[in-house]
Amino acid sequence: MFVAAGLIVWMNFYPMVRGFYFSLYRGVGAQMEFAGALNYLRMLEDTQFRQTIGTTFFYLLIQVPIMLITGLALASMLNSPGLKAKGFFRTAIFLPCAVGLVAYSLVFRQMFAVSGIINTIAMNLGIMETPFNWFGSTWSARMIIILGLLWRWTGFNMIFYLAGLQNIDRSIFEAARIDGANVFQQFRKITIPLLRPIILLTAIMSTNGTLQLFDESFNLTGGGPGLTSRTMSHHIYSTAFEALIPQIGYASAMSFVIFIMVAVLAFIQIKVGDRR
Amino acid sequence: MKRFLAIALAILLVVTLAACGGGTADPPAQADPPTQADPPAQNDGNGEEAAGGTLTVWSWDPAFNMYAMDVAAEIFERSHPGFVLNNVEMPWEDINTQITTIGISGEYSLLPDIILIQDQAIEVSVLTFPGIFTDITDSGINFSEFAAGKTDFSVVDGRNFAVPFDNGVTITAWRTDVLEEAGFTVDDFTDITWDELIELGQVVLDETGMPLLSTYGVGASFMDVMVKSAGTSLFDGDGQPNFVDNAVFREAVDRFIEMVDAGVMLLPGDWSDYIGTLAAHDVVGTLAGCWILGTIQEVGPEGVWGVTNIPRLSVPGGTNYSSWGGSSWAVTSNANVDLAVAFLNYTFAGSTELYDIILPAAGALSTWGPAAASTIYQEPQPFFGGQAVFSDIVRFSQNIPDFVGGIHHYIAMDQIDIALGNIINLGMDIEQALAEAEDVVRFQMGL
Repeated sequence: MFVAAGLIVWMNFYPMVRGFYFSLYRGVGAQMEFAGALNYLRMLEDTQFRQTIGTTFFYLLIQVPIMLITGLALASMLNSPGLKAKGFFRTAIFLPCAVGLVAYSLVFRQMFAVSGIINTIAMNLGIMETPFNWFGSTWSARMIIILGLLWRWTGFNMIFYLAGLQNIDRSIFEAARIDGANVFQQFRKITIPLLRPIILLTAIMSTNGTLQLFDESFNLTGGGPGLTSRTMSHHIYSTAFEALIPQIGYASAMSFVIFIMVAVLAFIQIKVGDRR
Repeated sequence: MKRFLAIALAILLVVTLAACGGGTADPPAQADPPTQADPPAQNDGNGEEAAGGTLTVWSWDPAFNMYAMDVAAEIFERSHPGFVLNNVEMPWEDINTQITTIGISGEYSLLPDIILIQDQAIEVSVLTFPGIFTDITDSGINFSEFAAGKTDFSVVDGRNFAVPFDNGVTITAWRTDVLEEAGFTVDDFTDITWDELIELGQVVLDETGMPLLSTYGVGASFMDVMVKSAGTSLFDGDGQPNFVDNAVFREAVDRFIEMVDAGVMLLPGDWSDYIGTLAAHDVVGTLAGCWILGTIQEVGPEGVWGVTNIPRLSVPGGTNYSSWGGSSWAVTSNANVDLAVAFLNYTFAGSTELYDIILPAAGALSTWGPAAASTIYQEPQPFFGGQAVFSDIVRFSQNIPDFVGGIHHYIAMDQIDIALGNIINLGMDIEQALAEAEDVVRFQMGL
């Protein structure tokens, strides 16, 4: 018990406190001096950080709802008693979660490369005449990131819903059916209310994950074109570890802002979602 | 079945625990057998000079830097039997990140013995992370034998921190057979301006369907080369970024964008995609540091390549000469310093044989004085259709204008990369993109 608590304090809380401590310092590399709130004030003038916040929330608002709804729909389908080869479908949909983030990002990048498979197929089918540079425009680059996220994470959320659905007594659905409720009514009036705690959990986890999105931005699009698909975490990484002038203090301050954003959003979601 | 599994797990656990315990709680018993096997193994790590030793080196480009290292190790091994080189490939971007990460954390023990570092990065690394490299000023290496313009990069506050390697003179290399199809020779591409290049490029594109050039990313490094060729810097006299009111830089950006728009310049993606366009013969030629000759000799075909200088900007002070990515060997603070210095002193700072091998094979143009006396420079190179390529390149190197580097070089390059992406991919107004980039650089320098 105490060992576990100690580990949590050491592995989780210590870095947080340390990060906050760093965020109060300014300077480059190993030479730092105390600067108070300077880094936080500086952030107000940082146009690029503002841009990456916008991009990250764009991903959040588009991708999380689509992913959760798809996950829920897939879970309900897999939960229907008549379905054959359930195990196969479940495994197939969950399998992407077993793939490393970097690995799948690189595969997606290859697929959407100018000479990649997507362009080749589209050109052979006559849909396109010339190869399209998917990473050359803001919208297609962002769309590919969202597509990747959906592919990678939908199955992950589905498994949670499936577990939740299996805890709902079948007799409730039967009773509803006898009362004349169709599939959509059952879904809306029984499934969703009974799954509320799990939907809340997945919503918080997805929000948290999307706000900290890094691998896809870094590996899949490289943040481009320009800076338009770069996420907050990617921007923090660049500030801290690139160009040989590491700004650890400033990067820590930006990380802390993300930390607060995650906390606030989770708090709101709990308040909205938990009506016990 | 369950019971069997439980027993199997229990046995596994006991064995694992015992093994762990053996390592920590039982040192005397464990120590016995290894001591007998140890002496030879110990010598490998940090034994006497004569018994060899191992050096771990990080560098990039198997056709050039790593190849040179391998040749150097072979030469060194002849007189130092048992010497082992651990030649690790690490792209420059990764080395850059490694230096930064290791530098911040202070875990210098993670560094290898020797790092290949781009010249522009030496000063900023030494200033940002004091002590990350070993001061080798008094190590016995004769730095005065190297070209002065080159050692300037690796000297910080009067102390030497790296052994200079190649000087990255920029060249253009052209497929003469393709040029011939369009009715041109390499001479038509010598001593020209960028405007003339674009005109020629359009003719070649019409006649052969091939773009003239390709580069990686959106061309930030290309831009750097163009600016340097006019002896200009991206920073003004006070060290502040100077993008918007910089006529030379603006001319470079305009010409570059014009080339991209005209289809004369391909932007295939990252570095390996760029090399891919050379290997697949998608382009007529390339513009790069002379280190690209290693790659060109790999992709062939033999006998058709010609080498000349680069186009110049139509601005006062514009020249046909520049440099791209020269680098140096730095001994880290985690090195077996004696061995590393002995190795570098014997090879890169002391072996004409080394340079005689790597010059024709990889285009590794030395900055070490004694190697320049080699007769190989004058020899016609069959691969390049009998052209005495290397004496030409030496001549180019003498004409490169001086330029100011500065520790914020990489910050500027990052932002120019973003600005060019905005212009080329998103159609942003050039003036606006450069103004934004300049603001961000100033912002980032503010810390």
